[in-house]
Amino acid sequence: MSCEACPVHNTGRPSHLGVDMGNWDYVVALAGNPNTGKSTVFNALTGLKQHTGNWPGKTVTRAEGGFEYGDKRFKLVDLPETYSLLSASLDEEIARDFILFGNPDVTVVVVDATRLERNLNLVLQVLEITGRAVVCLNLVDEARRHHLRVDERRLARDLGVPVVPTSARYRQGLPELLAAINDVAAGKTACKPHRIGGASPEVEQAVSGLARKIEAVFPKLTSARWVALRLLDGDARIAAAVRQGELGELEGASQTAVEGAALAEASA
Amino acid sequence: MSASRFDQAAVQDILRSAEALRWELGRDYHDRVVETVYADAAGIADRAVTREGDRPRFDLDATIDRLVTSRVWGLPIMLLLLMLVFWLTITGANLPSNWIASVLIGRIYPALKQGAEAVLIPHWVSGMLIDGMYLSTAWVVSVMLPPMAIFFPLFTLLEDFGYLPRVAFNLDNFFKKAGAHGRQSLTMVMGFGCNAAGVVATRIIDSPRERLIAIITNNFALCNGRWPTQILIAGVFLGTLVSAQLAGLVSAASVVAIALLGVGLTLVASWVLSRTMLKGQPSTFSLELPPYRPPRVFQTLYTSLIDRTIYILWRAIVFAAPAGLVIWLVANVHLGGPSLAEILVNLLDPVGLFIGLNGVILLAYIVAVPANEIVIPTILMLTVLMTGVTGVGQGAGVIFQLDSQQTLQSLLTAGGWSLLTAVNLMLFSLIHNPCSTTIYTIYKETGSVKWTAVATLMPLILGVSVTFVVAQIWHLLAGAI
Amino acid sequence: MPEPLIRLLIAAGLASLAALLFWPGSGLAPRWREARRASERVLIEDTLKHLYEFKLTGLKPSLESLAGALSVPLDRVARLLPLMQKHSLVEYEAGEIQLTPRGREYALHILRAHRLWERHLADETGYPEMEWHDRAEAIEHVLTPSQADSLAEHLGNPTYDPHGDPIPAATGEMAPLAGGSLAQATDDHLRVVHIEDEPQAIYAQLVAEGLHPGLELRIIERSSERIVVWAADREHTLAPIVANNVTVIPITTPPPQPGFEQRRLSSLEVGEQARVVAISRATRGPERRRLMDLGLLPGTLIEASLRSPGGDPTAYLVRGALIALRREQADQIAITSSEEAKL
Repeated sequence: MSCEACPVHNTGRPSHLGVDMGNWDYVVALAGNPNTGKSTVFNALTGLKQHTGNWPGKTVTRAEGGFEYGDKRFKLVDLPETYSLLSASLDEEIARDFILFGNPDVTVVVVDATRLERNLNLVLQVLEITGRAVVCLNLVDEARRHHLRVDERRLARDLGVPVVPTSARYRQGLPELLAAINDVAAGKTACKPHRIGGASPEVEQAVSGLARKIEAVFPKLTSARWVALRLLDGDARIAAAVRQGELGELEGASQTAVEGAALAEASA
Repeated sequence: MSASRFDQAAVQDILRSAEALRWELGRDYHDRVVETVYADAAGIADRAVTREGDRPRFDLDATIDRLVTSRVWGLPIMLLLLMLVFWLTITGANLPSNWIASVLIGRIYPALKQGAEAVLIPHWVSGMLIDGMYLSTAWVVSVMLPPMAIFFPLFTLLEDFGYLPRVAFNLDNFFKKAGAHGRQSLTMVMGFGCNAAGVVATRIIDSPRERLIAIITNNFALCNGRWPTQILIAGVFLGTLVSAQLAGLVSAASVVAIALLGVGLTLVASWVLSRTMLKGQPSTFSLELPPYRPPRVFQTLYTSLIDRTIYILWRAIVFAAPAGLVIWLVANVHLGGPSLAEILVNLLDPVGLFIGLNGVILLAYIVAVPANEIVIPTILMLTVLMTGVTGVGQGAGVIFQLDSQQTLQSLLTAGGWSLLTAVNLMLFSLIHNPCSTTIYTIYKETGSVKWTAVATLMPLILGVSVTFVVAQIWHLLAGAI
Repeated sequence: MPEPLIRLLIAAGLASLAALLFWPGSGLAPRWREARRASERVLIEDTLKHLYEFKLTGLKPSLESLAGALSVPLDRVARLLPLMQKHSLVEYEAGEIQLTPRGREYALHILRAHRLWERHLADETGYPEMEWHDRAEAIEHVLTPSQADSLAEHLGNPTYDPHGDPIPAATGEMAPLAGGSLAQATDDHLRVVHIEDEPQAIYAQLVAEGLHPGLELRIIERSSERIVVWAADREHTLAPIVANNVTVIPITTPPPQPGFEQRRLSSLEVGEQARVVAISRATRGPERRRLMDLGLLPGTLIEASLRSPGGDPTAYLVRGALIALRREQADQIAITSSEEAKL
């Protein structure tokens, strides 16, 4: 069963930001804070099937890899490690642009179970952009050593997306992670992503008012609130996306290769 | 265009009201949003996490941290660890280096020569391709691959373990005083392995000004390609100054002194740059000191081989092969009698002697721009050519290596070398333009011809100045005695 | 004299000559380039800017005031104005020099470029505050409108420059600048919204006092000779002429009591705990965002854990992670006293 809020992968959509979809069924983005073992997760999922290069036009390393699950082939794109998506550093811009404009079928956020609060900051921001997300609760072995217990079911309920405890270093929890990714990609998991609570009434009023206007123009956009938040912060990249109707492309409508290329260029 | 599918007036309205609301919300807006997200995160985390029992009494992380950042032990531990890494690299690389050299140069090279003769390839063609390009490439591979294949994984293991951020933490104050970024210490350490890799590593510095400083000064980190020159010359000329028991110690100490001089120069050059061309105060930086984690050895070996070693090696080969061709050509092209090499060496000799070096060394540094590794073999080859010493090497323009220090010393002395030449060569090896792989990498990373030129010429000018001053003072003292 | 010594002396002479010629900033070659830049166009653009500022402040421009503001001889201005009239940038109305709409637009672009660049210098470079203005003065004549736009975009369309001056939008709209001068303020509880950066001598005093937009202060004493205020953790005594260059607005939440010394993170001893009260408004842009992304928010529990062998930086335990900050950064973070943290 799938919900309105999480559009199912559309095979008619051939282009993902800078990703050649040639042999792949799904694109998965891998996000996370620094020092969460994200690269261990990446290596564990892709094995030796990986390739590193640069993000188009930028001196930021980009790693890609692939894995298979069932009869589907997944492409995994490793995003730069960031604490947040709200600041304007190059790394954050790349991660943010890929999650929003790259249209990944699933975004996996790797979090450090021993510092959950700090890591949830990024998770909540990702969930504002996309509901098609899986939280990979990594380093549970370390948490146990520190006598910490994380109730992943409670966490999943609060976040509204699947949470999979893993210990990527010891290859624990990976099959469950793959299953969760597959289920979200195939639209088998219902997601009701947590939305950030209101700040002051003044801010809340501004954000929701603006979000309503955005929804009116882009009715199927799931991240209207987030777009409103960013517009109020003076984010020029988002303003340009609104102006050029790029946001409309994110509704799951078919995207032509030309537009995909223009997008990649715009982000470069 | 797709934009026309949407109501343009409504789109304009969205943007206009966003602008208007921004004036109203004022400057605190961003702060308030971040606070809200964190408040939510704290609430969710509180509900999901329970602590079972007390915090363990013995916290290993904190104990290690107190030790490696302690006022007394912090810096010595760091120096010891780095020296251990270098020692493992240098000694560990010896055996595989010799093995690769024996295969590539000892076996394949003669086979290629014989093959070329058998199929009647003209002498000059086989000379250019086999004696020139093949041999220099083989040289670079055998000299560069083993140390890099040892250094980079060791480096990555320290990185994965979580020690490197502590190095930055310990050294930050020095770099701050030099107007540089705290993470520059990491890129400098990386530069000990390979300057090109060090330049790429400056990506971790987010302030453009400080990143440029780190890029320009990375060359002062004595890279793997230059260690062999230092070790060889120190062993032959400085080690022999003292008794045999002390020889090893003295030559090792002088190499370490050169490396430390490089660290000093990095700081001084950063200081000067941040007060002149790249003016500004050190930007603030925040550095997370991650918890210590046992590194994954095999994964590390694999990724550092792929990411760093192979990548750098490939670039070096691309540049080394044409250099081999040039070396062979200058040694074998004759302009009415003397070879091009002889003409060039004689031309460069006055300049070289002026700064306490000689024409052979200068020519070697010119043709060895692609890779510092081929400096020593080129010097040997050219010296043989110039002095006419027989019984060593394999012919004009053919790179080779000598095994015994005595032969080497007598050869170089025949070439007119003195202690001053040796000291200045060690200095010049530290302070001269980066190799072409690094120059190319600097260009790729900065995208600027200007900064690439600064990074290339600044150390060269400095190197010439330093060797000049040392030579003159040397002569002055020698004259006084 | 021995030959090597002569050579060394010659080399030293050559080196100092080269330094004299090419030293960035103060060498002869850079200065010569600088001088050439003071061209006609630059003067015209500066004149437009001053005319616009005169209009904002309600002052009547005259040949003399313009010559003063531009620091050029009177006859130079006299030759300049007809030229500007020819390009329909200015016009005379009732004998008074006025900006034409075209001149106004041009002036706004210059102002926008200037303030955007100051913002960039403040947020993204390490140049000291005293240099922002002069550097922006040079850049404002070079930046094209489209470059200014992409700079604005890159900076996240800032609305105010680091001195608190509004930055004109590309459309020419500008946020209002509220408030009045500190010298004339009647309320006691105030927040700084703007610091005037000209003339330099006065600005230098304000910078030295550590006053910056966003700072909240309380007036302790005001007389015709001096104005004494309490801000953050110390007293500032300002001459009226200096206070006149500080724009303030009244606030309702009272600023700290005089004598109350705001504790700063930099004073936290290793092993000690406290809670974050605020990040100073002097920390702006990406730097401020980065600190907040790391979780340094009001109310956050923070503990000093390690000090570098060099005495600086210090690593703090924040929300489970060890974060190293330099002393200058820790100075910008206000914390509670350690007794309060235990509550």
